[in-house]
Amino acid sequence: MDELDLLKKDWKKNESQYPKVSEQEIYAMLHKKSSSVVKWIFIISVLEIMLWTAISTLTADESYLKTLEHYHISSLMNIFTAVNYGVIAVFIFLFYKNFRNINTTDNVKSLMKNILRTRKTVQYYIWYNLGMIGLTFITIMIATFKYDNRINEIVARSSSTDGNTLFWIVLIGFTFIFFVVIFGLFWLFYRLIYGFLLRRLHKNYEELKKIDL
Amino acid sequence: MNSSLEQSFVSQLQEHQNIIHKICRLYTSDEDAHKDLFQEITIQLWKAFPQFRGEAKFTTWAYRVALNTAITLYRKKTKSVSTIEFDGKIHKFSHDEYNYEEEEQIKLLYKAVHQLNDIEKALVFMYLEDKDYTEIAETLGISEVNARVKMNRIKGKLKKIVNP
Repeated sequence: MDELDLLKKDWKKNESQYPKVSEQEIYAMLHKKSSSVVKWIFIISVLEIMLWTAISTLTADESYLKTLEHYHISSLMNIFTAVNYGVIAVFIFLFYKNFRNINTTDNVKSLMKNILRTRKTVQYYIWYNLGMIGLTFITIMIATFKYDNRINEIVARSSSTDGNTLFWIVLIGFTFIFFVVIFGLFWLFYRLIYGFLLRRLHKNYEELKKIDL
Repeated sequence: MNSSLEQSFVSQLQEHQNIIHKICRLYTSDEDAHKDLFQEITIQLWKAFPQFRGEAKFTTWAYRVALNTAITLYRKKTKSVSTIEFDGKIHKFSHDEYNYEEEEQIKLLYKAVHQLNDIEKALVFMYLEDKDYTEIAETLGISEVNARVKMNRIKGKLKKIVNP
């Protein structure tokens, strides 16, 4: 008997000894496409932090730093920045962990659990960023009203005239609108970038739910 | 892709999954790599499934796509793994009659097959699966004569490895 025939004999004998992969497990494999979405979430979050770092490095010139000093928020802003990088680093780590988890999952149930967890992490990330933007905006506004010479001058001049109340209404109104616009733009930015990926994850989750019934 | 297509794919694949397991057995050396390749092939089959029109048998089509995946896609990813020594673990699938000498020889043969290149493994696989040269040639995209020549060369190689 030649070598290959001997091998063939053994090959046939083992025909029924292979592991059996269930239909559920096959479905889970097909829906692994979630892992590529999660991979993108991770990549984009890294790119995003690089973008913000680049912008803040490029715009932080001497006059900006002087303004912060003048507003008495220089050290507060440094604390904000440090905390922000710390928190974002944790989020990036979580995104990476989610990606690893989804990549190594091979059953429908835990894949679904991982998708939900990832969605939640991204949602928290968006809310954290928007919150941070709001907090920074409010801090800067308060400091501006308190320490900016030109603003103080305008305020002083208007306070001495008759239209006092109207002036404050207009001022607060404009500040509020400005805040809403800035906040809205950031919200839109996050909705566009992460919203798309979240929707894909959600779709995949819904398909998995049907399988899991 | 719609869910009835998916359902039909999953049930056919589930039924014929041994094809993939067997390919994994020849192309991988440990359980993790086996699982990995199984999943990779499953995904590639699913991607190719809309083009499968049922003109050929599901199994014939699956042989082709699965082997192609093992040869091309998987090779790129695990170049370094392909030369790992066969540890005999895969041979845990058992034997009723115990013939020590034959068993040793079979172990050696599997080890030898693992040392072949990816195309040669594909040829061995199809041979073990009782495919004739026409089908082997067609699946691998080579001529029948070429398939026979390659097969003879493989037999020679195996003989040399087993009886140095």
